[in-house]
Amino acid sequence: MSPASSHPEQQPPVVEVRDMDFCYGTHIVLHDISLSAERNRVTALIGPSGCGKSTLLRCVNRMNDRVASARVSKGQVLVKGKNIHDSDVDLTQLRRQVGMVFQKSNPFPKSIYDNVAYGLRIHGVKAKDILDDAVERALRSSALWDELKDRLTQNALGLSGGQQQRLCIARAIATHPDVLLMDEPCSALDPIATLKIEELMHQLAREYTVIIVTHNMQQAVRVSDYTAFLHLGKLIEFGDTEALFSNPKQKLTEAYLRGTFS
Amino acid sequence: MSTPPRHSQPDPANPFAGDQTRIQMQETLMRWLLRIGTLFVVSVTVAIVLHIVIKGAPVAFRSEWPFVNVKFLTELPATLHVIQDNQGKIIETDVNGADAVKKQLGANLRQEKTISYSGGGILGPIVGTAMLVLVSVGVALFLGVASAIYLSEYAKHGKFIEMVRLAILNLAGVPSVVFGLFGLGAFVLTAPVFTNIPLDRSVFTIPLGFTTLSFQGWDTCVLSGGFTLAFVILPVIITASEQCLQAVPQGFRETSMALGATRWQTIWRAVLPFATPGILTSSILGIARAAGETAPIMFTAALAFKDKLPWQKDQLPLPVDASWFAHWEHSVTRFLGIFTESVQALPYHIYTLAARIPQNEYSERAQYGSVFVFLVLVASLATTSIWMRRRLRAKYKW
Repeated sequence: MSPASSHPEQQPPVVEVRDMDFCYGTHIVLHDISLSAERNRVTALIGPSGCGKSTLLRCVNRMNDRVASARVSKGQVLVKGKNIHDSDVDLTQLRRQVGMVFQKSNPFPKSIYDNVAYGLRIHGVKAKDILDDAVERALRSSALWDELKDRLTQNALGLSGGQQQRLCIARAIATHPDVLLMDEPCSALDPIATLKIEELMHQLAREYTVIIVTHNMQQAVRVSDYTAFLHLGKLIEFGDTEALFSNPKQKLTEAYLRGTFS
Repeated sequence: MSTPPRHSQPDPANPFAGDQTRIQMQETLMRWLLRIGTLFVVSVTVAIVLHIVIKGAPVAFRSEWPFVNVKFLTELPATLHVIQDNQGKIIETDVNGADAVKKQLGANLRQEKTISYSGGGILGPIVGTAMLVLVSVGVALFLGVASAIYLSEYAKHGKFIEMVRLAILNLAGVPSVVFGLFGLGAFVLTAPVFTNIPLDRSVFTIPLGFTTLSFQGWDTCVLSGGFTLAFVILPVIITASEQCLQAVPQGFRETSMALGATRWQTIWRAVLPFATPGILTSSILGIARAAGETAPIMFTAALAFKDKLPWQKDQLPLPVDASWFAHWEHSVTRFLGIFTESVQALPYHIYTLAARIPQNEYSERAQYGSVFVFLVLVASLATTSIWMRRRLRAKYKW
């Protein structure tokens, strides 16, 4: 189930999940997942609530490590060709290169500048000019610079919901990751803010490899190049977004897309 | 099929007419019961404060400039001499003044009474309590916040951690006199000190070559008392700090970790700053408790009477040609020496005045004066901390 066959590319996929089983304790929540995300493409994960799409996303930067009983029981997750569960993988380096934006926008109650600079500062960047540059670049990339350049010292909690979420995107890309994981980034936003983020996503894909979890199928159509459909912890179908939506190969996918889902 | 019955007696004019006297009576009754209970609590609190203010304020304040009883706040406690002449005139004086007054009166002296501890002022107890609070809050905040962070951020949930939590909660219920005895055994008699000549009573000694580490205790001093008090307030600080840490949204931690921060970086930058206002609040409670405890310090730090402040210890002066290092060492020893002195403390002083000496109007006056000053000190401390917390909270809120 690799889209590489339909889009022949020379580069290896940036993220590759191979035959992965994932479980909480003895309860297996993801079965035998194989999936890849191509460089500078947007890959969407869709599926009904509880199908494991967020869990799958959090496997890519090992955020599931925070849950004591969670583990990958079979298979591999490769990022840039390296198995991220190898013992010589440093989690801080992995997460620096695989950024994440969460469902609920959660800027720190600090200034806008401090929010964006957070990632760089924890990686030891102190020089003011480097930080200034990085903050400006990240805010430009997330289409916030023009709105916010005059109030960088203000508290980030004073921003609107959509601005807060874009600030979180800026914070995630300030460390210049290769991969950007987005876990339902628009689910708490109004349609206009959602539109802005969707527009942003096309631009982000030029620089980053984006994987997005969404419960909104229209959004998947609008923003993604590839779509994976998950159901009950299994990957049902994965392929080119247009092909998957116009001509699903699996009955289950078709039923879900049509909304006639039992 | 039957439909459920509608309201039994519909009144066409008022479909919402109430016919529930019993329920209304219950409502009124409960409201008044709860109100009376609350009023009772409030009135008792007001009564206590008023009682102390009415009896204590005249001791601490004066009707003419500088309006405050400076003597009461700046002098050490002393024995009060009350001398009455044959005309019924009463003169209050200290031990030095008494001789002069008696000589002047000569045969005119009717009687002289001496009342222990009730003369002079209460500077000694104020200083002692301040130092005890300083040491205990310092120690307890460090240990308490450290263990709260460990329990909240690092420890994995399990039986062991549950037991640790239970133990901490139980610690809060231990009577304070038990802490006093613990402090006597642990800090006064066995805590380690560096000394060249260990005492005979030392539990054991570890020779280090240049000096000896002797487990002979710190004696009755501010340090022993402060550490003992720290353990009294630790449970409060740990429990409250842990709650404050847990109140910081998980999203902050996740975001920080997802940006590649280590656990400690996350705690230091994305959790602690936002938990600090709450932790400060818990330390306010700690300060008030530490300042007020009597039992833990009566075996470990406090004396009923001491005629010197901690820093008024006699020390050999340095020779004229002493090196800068000797001067430096001298100052450090002098500073540390402050904390190895026993002190008077306000709660113990009040206890002494109220229970250890014969009661009369003069001892009662000193007693209420001390209580009033004590109350004002604790209240102002709490107010300062609440103000600090407000400012921090305004800065860090989410």
